[in-house]
Amino acid sequence: MIPRGVSVRDLLRSGAEGGGFVPPSSGDFELPPIFGDNVYTTKPIALVFLSVILISAFFIISSRKAAVLPSKLQFAGESVYTFVRNDLAKDVIGHDFLRFVPYLFTLFTFILVNNLFGIIPLLQFPSMSRVSFPYILALTVYLVFHYVGIRKQGAIKYFKDIMFMPGVPKAAYILITPLEILTFFLVRPLTLSLRLFANMFAGHLLLLVFILGGEHLFQGVIGLKLISPFAFGIGIVLTFFEFMVQCLQAYIFTLLAALYIAGALADEH
Amino acid sequence: MSSREENAMWSIFGYLLSGLLFWGGIGYGLDKWLGTAYLTLIGLLVGISGAIYLVWLRFGRQ
Repeated sequence: MIPRGVSVRDLLRSGAEGGGFVPPSSGDFELPPIFGDNVYTTKPIALVFLSVILISAFFIISSRKAAVLPSKLQFAGESVYTFVRNDLAKDVIGHDFLRFVPYLFTLFTFILVNNLFGIIPLLQFPSMSRVSFPYILALTVYLVFHYVGIRKQGAIKYFKDIMFMPGVPKAAYILITPLEILTFFLVRPLTLSLRLFANMFAGHLLLLVFILGGEHLFQGVIGLKLISPFAFGIGIVLTFFEFMVQCLQAYIFTLLAALYIAGALADEH
Repeated sequence: MSSREENAMWSIFGYLLSGLLFWGGIGYGLDKWLGTAYLTLIGLLVGISGAIYLVWLRFGRQ
């Protein structure tokens, strides 16, 4: 364990020779516990609980005493809700969509707020870049859409329809069935989680490279000092880009969850 | 936003934070006493779910 008060970067810097710049690596994502040495009091866990507090407070306040002419806060809360309800649930799932709106709404707001923590000053860590959070979210989506399919069509018919897709000539089953089994049971949850994780991890790493690199350039000779504003400028541009990626990844995760549920609910006839 | 809404928002924030701190603290103390690692997390989860339920009881229903 790393002793308290010493960061990973300090350890690496003491071992680096020459220019002394330590490029950011995956070690920068392992944050020490905030107090004590209990592994469950780290910054990502604190950020996740903070996101729950923020989301709950915002939506409870914005929906109480709902007036016909909404106030600004109520309008903001309602906009997010109607976006998930109409564009994500109703358009994708179809006629049985209302019972999935709470789940999709929770997924969307939870992932969005946690992603946005990556660019909010003082917090500046996207909790979805710790891979266990996307894994668990993808696991819940996986359980939900298989459960919905089994409830709707019965277990035997549901699995048979997955493995032997109707409307396909029988000779093609040799090709298609292994692919379908792999897709439905392995590839879908894996890609769902890793897509979110990799985008957040790479985005945070990019921001670290340009901002820490700019700071390091600033401490060099005059030639390097003149270049460092460009590094910071690229860092600013990347922050805006990162904002777009974070919103997009939250939307994509929820959209795919809705699509998988819609696929499980679909009637073949 | 009106000051009534602002007060309500701060008190909701206070409820949630105190639920986390209280039950998280109990979990943390139990961890230190029993030498386990996971009781802190269980305490935090109990705290946040109880706090959300309390906030819904107090603020969510008119």
